[in-house]
Amino acid sequence: MNLIMGDLSCYGQCLRSWAPFVASFIILSIALISISLMLSNPRKRLRIFLFAQLSGIIAIALTYYIMECSEMLSLFLYSAFLAVSNLIIFGVLRYYDRIIIRKLEAKPAGRLLNWTQEFVDMLTSAKLYYFDSAIPRAFASGKSIFISIGLLEILDDDELKAVLAHEAWHIRHNSGMPFMKQLALMAFSSSADPKLECMADRFAAQIAGSEALLSARNKVDKVFI
Amino acid sequence: MVKIDQINISNDGLTKFFSPIEAAILRALWAEGEMTTSELTGKTNIPLTSVAGTLDRLVKAGYTTRRTEKVNGRVRYMYEPVFTEEEAASEITTKILDSLVETFGPLAVENFSKYSDKK
Repeated sequence: MNLIMGDLSCYGQCLRSWAPFVASFIILSIALISISLMLSNPRKRLRIFLFAQLSGIIAIALTYYIMECSEMLSLFLYSAFLAVSNLIIFGVLRYYDRIIIRKLEAKPAGRLLNWTQEFVDMLTSAKLYYFDSAIPRAFASGKSIFISIGLLEILDDDELKAVLAHEAWHIRHNSGMPFMKQLALMAFSSSADPKLECMADRFAAQIAGSEALLSARNKVDKVFI
Repeated sequence: MVKIDQINISNDGLTKFFSPIEAAILRALWAEGEMTTSELTGKTNIPLTSVAGTLDRLVKAGYTTRRTEKVNGRVRYMYEPVFTEEEAASEITTKILDSLVETFGPLAVENFSKYSDKK
């Protein structure tokens, strides 16, 4: 521990008065990455993410040019930057549904309609949540499925089963999806992949019947992904 | 709440202060008191896809409240207006008068008294 602190203070001296300047770029970069992952608009998210990378690179470049004694710090900074940004991205991917639950103030749907959680349990291991919105919507993230009250209002039980089966398929498929693809889908696009949607629909038709699926699709036209 | 920058004097009736859909929803709620989503779409004759987002906005802005009800195993919203029509009118007038006085000062006040004298 002492060794690390000693190293850090040595780096601080080498950077002289620039140390807080470099540090602020590093902090900015980490903050921007966290912000970018919480945005829902994919274009904004990409932009903030690029700014985060940029400020990380600026911090590393600054260190490289300002350093007087050793150039190890730029290497050290770079690895720290990689480690921290990966940690944040992994962490957010793992806990992304928790963020959504808090953002939407979602509550367990089993409390509202008992059979819905039981139905989902039969298909996959996921928790079903409902959130307060009149707009009919359903989507899956991580190990959670989200449905709006607006959706519950307009669908009958069979149609709801079709939607839940569709989302359950996404959860099943998510766990088998390569990590990078999941990340890319989550980070940079909000629109659904039509191939995946088609497969999810096929599964939903098997479980709840194609009639129920079709009438659910007609009622909510493109609002469950 | 009514936002001053969204006021459009050249529109008709309530749409001076609200969007046409917001106005239709508020009028229906003021007339009926309590309504479900399907009653609202029926009464206003506006499809759910257009009404749903506006309802979320009106709730968020504090013009209406809604509670979830369970009837025969079906979940539904029940909407209720927060303000009466008179309360909304008084809020709107106060806001506009405030902004007029802020911009024109004594001149605005002078015109108000002239106006009420005329009445």
